Amino acid sequence: MWNEGCVLLMGCSAPFSLKAFLQMCNLPVRVVCRANAEYMSPSGKVPFIHVGNQVVSELGPIVQFVKAKGHSLSDGLDEVQKAEMKAYMELVNNMLLTAELYLQWCDDVTVEEITHPRYGSPYPWPLNRILAYQKQWEIRRKMKAIGWAGKSLEQVLEDVDQCCQALSQRLGTQPYFFNKQPTELDALVFGHLFTILTTQLTTDELSEKVKNYGNLTAFCRRIEQQYFEGHDKDNSGTAAPRSAKRSLLR
Amino acid sequence: MAAPMELFCWAGGWGLPSVDPDCLAVLTYARFTGAPLKVHRVSSPWRSPSGRLPALKTRDEGTISKTQQIITHLRKQKYNADYDLSATQGADTLAFVSLLEEKLLPVLIHTFWVDAKNYVEHTRKWYAETIPFPLNFFLPNCMHKQHVERLQLMWGDGYMEDEEKLEKELYRDARECLTLLSQRLGSQKFFFGDSPASLDAFVFSRLAPLLKAKLPNGKLQQHLKSLQNLCNYCTSILSLYFPWDGGEMHPQPHTAPLGCPPQKKKKKHHETQHWCLAALCSPQVTSPPVPRGLGVPRVATQRRTPTSGATSCCRCWWGWQPCWATPS
Repeated sequence: MWNEGCVLLMGCSAPFSLKAFLQMCNLPVRVVCRANAEYMSPSGKVPFIHVGNQVVSELGPIVQFVKAKGHSLSDGLDEVQKAEMKAYMELVNNMLLTAELYLQWCDDVTVEEITHPRYGSPYPWPLNRILAYQKQWEIRRKMKAIGWAGKSLEQVLEDVDQCCQALSQRLGTQPYFFNKQPTELDALVFGHLFTILTTQLTTDELSEKVKNYGNLTAFCRRIEQQYFEGHDKDNSGTAAPRSAKRSLLR
Repeated sequence: MAAPMELFCWAGGWGLPSVDPDCLAVLTYARFTGAPLKVHRVSSPWRSPSGRLPALKTRDEGTISKTQQIITHLRKQKYNADYDLSATQGADTLAFVSLLEEKLLPVLIHTFWVDAKNYVEHTRKWYAETIPFPLNFFLPNCMHKQHVERLQLMWGDGYMEDEEKLEKELYRDARECLTLLSQRLGSQKFFFGDSPASLDAFVFSRLAPLLKAKLPNGKLQQHLKSLQNLCNYCTSILSLYFPWDGGEMHPQPHTAPLGCPPQKKKKKHHETQHWCLAALCSPQVTSPPVPRGLGVPRVATQRRTPTSGATSCCRCWWGWQPCWATPS
């Protein structure tokens, strides 16, 4: 995982989702930050976990790996609910994740003021600029492939709003998406929403979209309180500087 | 009353009103809602006003090309198949459409356009026979390259080169997606009860080509055929909303339309005429990778009135109409 000091949305939502998921499974986890985490990962993507002599990257495969070891959050769901859970996870990946990427790499103001400096911060000049441009080019090509390159910022924010509305509808007044017990979907949604709400960007428009839905912000606070507050003390030796710690509870 | 909107979409084939999933989604949605559209089934994107298919030509907002935007436009014109859905059902629609687009559609594209056997023996052959001369020599390959590039960007180079990884992970996810859809549908007629909604249009448009096409390498197809409720679902939508194969589109009421006279015989007569005239016009070319047969000039079929059956016969893509083309 990257240094927690970096404020890249994409770099942080997945680790938060994963951490929430592992806490929900009652599996102890030690967080370690490295600048070259992307290169250490077998698939080139963060986060990844190192268990014994196995290394597994990305949330999907990690969930499968943990399930194979006998820990699963969605065993209590029936077939229809499992289908709905998978569908909503894809919705979050399709809309929220892509919107985060768009904002970081395709919005010129954010790119210039935040993304390039932060992404290149571990490296000396000129490597910091070269790597940042390379990543930006790669992301923009991908956006073009999925049809997001032609979208304006307003349209992207509109999509985020639609996604949040759908999640808010589905959550309703329940504590978790599938009533009493948290599932992988809760972990994933928490990771993304928490990151959006706590990351400082050039504008607050993205976090305002999420804040419009009271039950979603309450959901994030509840999960943070239940699964993160107590456990942070255990990680104090290895976690990033305290000053960069994010929280919704302040 | 406003002039009807015009929809340009890929021609029909394999027992479907259109072979392209996006065009099929728009056509199906329009059928569900009874939107009065003048449908032009064309055989190349060059016949479309925007150069892409599907394309909706509206009176006030120009030409719209993206599937989702076309459906949004139809909704704004009060042709809304989701009118009766609850807020939760609307949210479920968004989620399941995302599932389809992320997990199933890319693998479908791979099955039809990238898998070597399927592409050469089935997809390229169909498009090369449908697209008029001389576009048929290079347009299918252009489309193939675009699809390959798109999948490479979405999946990364690792998947495209490693067949085993592709099969193990991506096809497995696609099969899981089909199973999930089957579980969600259960024994219902449509996903949200007895009336079709936009989700049904999307699901049908992705499943029907997979079900109907005769693919040489059909591992994903086999899995779909094992899910009986999805097969019945597709067949019933086809028989209720498209009772004649690739027939003309008439404004339909919201409930299932029945009783429109089939135009199959008339169409076959014209098809035979087109083929014979094309045989006279274009020379046979047999060297690979030219498709077998000819680039048969297909006509952009207009809405036919009973008296004008002779219109638009054998007009080649450059607009020339030979004088002997008019049938007696």
